[in-house]
Amino acid sequence: MSIEYANLCSVVVKQVFGETVQIVADCLFCAVSRTLPAILKKTNLSRKEVSTALAVLIKYQLVVFAPCATNPFLAEYSLKREEIFYILRYPSYVQLIHSKYGPVGAAIAEELLHSGPQTATNVLLKCIANSEIKEKIETYRENFLAMVSDNYLIRLPQLISAEEDPVPKLQTDAYQYFAPPDINLHFISEVQAGKEKVEKAADAGIYWHANFSRFHQDFRDTVMIGAIERKLGTSASECFKYILKQMYERTDPWQKDCSNPFTFAEIKQTIEKKSNNLDLIKHLDQYVSLIADDPLRFIRKIGEMGGGQYVVDLNHAFEELTLSWFGSVITERYGSKASRIFRIIHMKKYIEQEELQKEAMIPAREAKLLSYYLFQDQFIQIKTIRKAGGGGTGPAKAFFLFHFKPRQSVRMILNICYKALYNTIERSNFEKSEHKRLIEKSQKLDSIVATMKERGESAEYIEEILETLTPPEREILEKVKTRIKTLSKAELTIDDSIFLLQMYLHHSKVETSLTTKDKK
Amino acid sequence: MAGRGRGKTGSLTQEQLQTLGCIGKDIPQVQTAPPPTFPPLMSKPVKLETTAAQSYQILWKEAYINHMRDSPYFISPKVTNINSNLQSYSDQWASAVENAKTKSKADFVWRMMPTELHITQKKRRIADGDKVVTKKPKNIDDRLKVLEEKERNEDEKDVAKASSDSEHEEEEEEAPADEEMDDENDYGNSYFDNGEAYNEEDDNLDDGPVY
Repeated sequence: MSIEYANLCSVVVKQVFGETVQIVADCLFCAVSRTLPAILKKTNLSRKEVSTALAVLIKYQLVVFAPCATNPFLAEYSLKREEIFYILRYPSYVQLIHSKYGPVGAAIAEELLHSGPQTATNVLLKCIANSEIKEKIETYRENFLAMVSDNYLIRLPQLISAEEDPVPKLQTDAYQYFAPPDINLHFISEVQAGKEKVEKAADAGIYWHANFSRFHQDFRDTVMIGAIERKLGTSASECFKYILKQMYERTDPWQKDCSNPFTFAEIKQTIEKKSNNLDLIKHLDQYVSLIADDPLRFIRKIGEMGGGQYVVDLNHAFEELTLSWFGSVITERYGSKASRIFRIIHMKKYIEQEELQKEAMIPAREAKLLSYYLFQDQFIQIKTIRKAGGGGTGPAKAFFLFHFKPRQSVRMILNICYKALYNTIERSNFEKSEHKRLIEKSQKLDSIVATMKERGESAEYIEEILETLTPPEREILEKVKTRIKTLSKAELTIDDSIFLLQMYLHHSKVETSLTTKDKK
Repeated sequence: MAGRGRGKTGSLTQEQLQTLGCIGKDIPQVQTAPPPTFPPLMSKPVKLETTAAQSYQILWKEAYINHMRDSPYFISPKVTNINSNLQSYSDQWASAVENAKTKSKADFVWRMMPTELHITQKKRRIADGDKVVTKKPKNIDDRLKVLEEKERNEDEKDVAKASSDSEHEEEEEEAPADEEMDDENDYGNSYFDNGEAYNEEDDNLDDGPVY
């Protein structure tokens, strides 16, 4: 965890929960875990403020607690650092649900993200009360159960200790994570009528929350399918989509290196059942060979059983994607010649300066300058090999070889991405605070005009009210809105890059700090 | 970036620079000033295209941040004015805006959290400063009038008491007459000698010496 990541998490918490919660979150970020007295001492806030802040963070599943090892009556609080970052991806999660389940599913996901984990009955009641979508309660229930069965919603650990325990114990068995809840529609209608209380529902005590791991799995699939589509076409991407579905039948989604094997016969069976693409069905074997033989090596042939045994090589897939992303970043910053130098260094593994100039076919001075810039910005590294001495007389000579350390460079650029994201959020906040008066005036005018239109006021009168916002003010407001929109778009783009780099770090062969526990 | 602020020639040693071929005029200049805030870009950044999905996400995010800001889970620290006697216009305006937004009550499931977090307001502490007992401003004239009335009432009571006492004396028996005298203390019982036993012989010589 770098300082850039810490600053980013801090500003995200401040934006969503305010300064008090930010202070407490910053205090927890610096430590593995802290007790309440330790937090009070460090933050100098009142006990009430710290307790409320901790309660908010626990409610939104950003902090977990456990009994202290030395004193089981005292709780230790630890921050879930990854989950804070996921707040920036909430819009993407809702958009994914919207594309799969429509506005009803999006309303359910929105309610869970707005108010934190809740019981199924509570969620449906609030969705019906708040939502502008006029749908039946049965539709909401069907969508909720579909989201649970597709693993987009996950059960939280349930209370197993007595109420008097100072530190409650929470636990859920793995097989119950996606067990569907008992949603009684008759009970819900009685609650709406005021005859029953929601606390007496059959599923009281069973809280549901968004399963971020499942969303990330879909995002990962989208990245890979998109890459195949851009390179090999729509039919190949559809073929790969079914390959991934087959992979998930017998492979843990977050298995690091490569998937468990599957056969060509199984893929063929699935595609013939579900696909309408005649071209794909007719030339399936060619498409599979095309994907397997491609330098991207998303899939790899490992045997001949069942018409051909294949595995999905996630490690290599994300390595290639990350490298091509690196190449585009270098092209943006230093130009295409620098990008050529980078590709040669990666291809040759270790290369000297003179040889690099010859291979790249770039003038010596320019090659030296570009390689210097790449080294300075840590895109490439230098390995020194000392020559066996000349009897100690004169300086010891050495070979200086350029090489590329992927993990080191990826971590470096990941920190740059975190910093860029922090800068966009801060700049956006700055723009909003700088023009706060103007933005509030515009919002008030809009609400007044909307009320007047509902009442059926004359157009002339509405026009008169609108003219209170002068043309120069309108111009400034438009510019501010455009700037904020551009910054928001930049946030989404940076997050896509961060996701790619995080996937590379997760699937690469060396053990990382991103454990499967975080992903699940 | 690497080596910023260290060494005169940036991040590379002299040996490394020579190997790279940067000799003499090729050596980059020593940085004497911080780099510009917005350094010139080699190439213009690519314009970002907004798809329908991205527009949806941008709008949703704005709505989410506004929703959380208006929720009871958005906690800001209380601003304490240095000089609380002076009220500024912005304070009045800010409090008016805040009061206009009626925030719903926070809903926590306390049984699933450590008990130390659930603070119930059982004791009222003076140190909180929420309820400061302020002295009512004294109105001296009113106070004087009240005291005058009290005095008058007391005088009337004394007069009424005296007349009621004399009535009470006739009604009560003689035995209580002693009690009247001894109303406030037991002087009569302990110390008062009415002289009746003066002429009686003192036959109590056997009682022992009297000190």
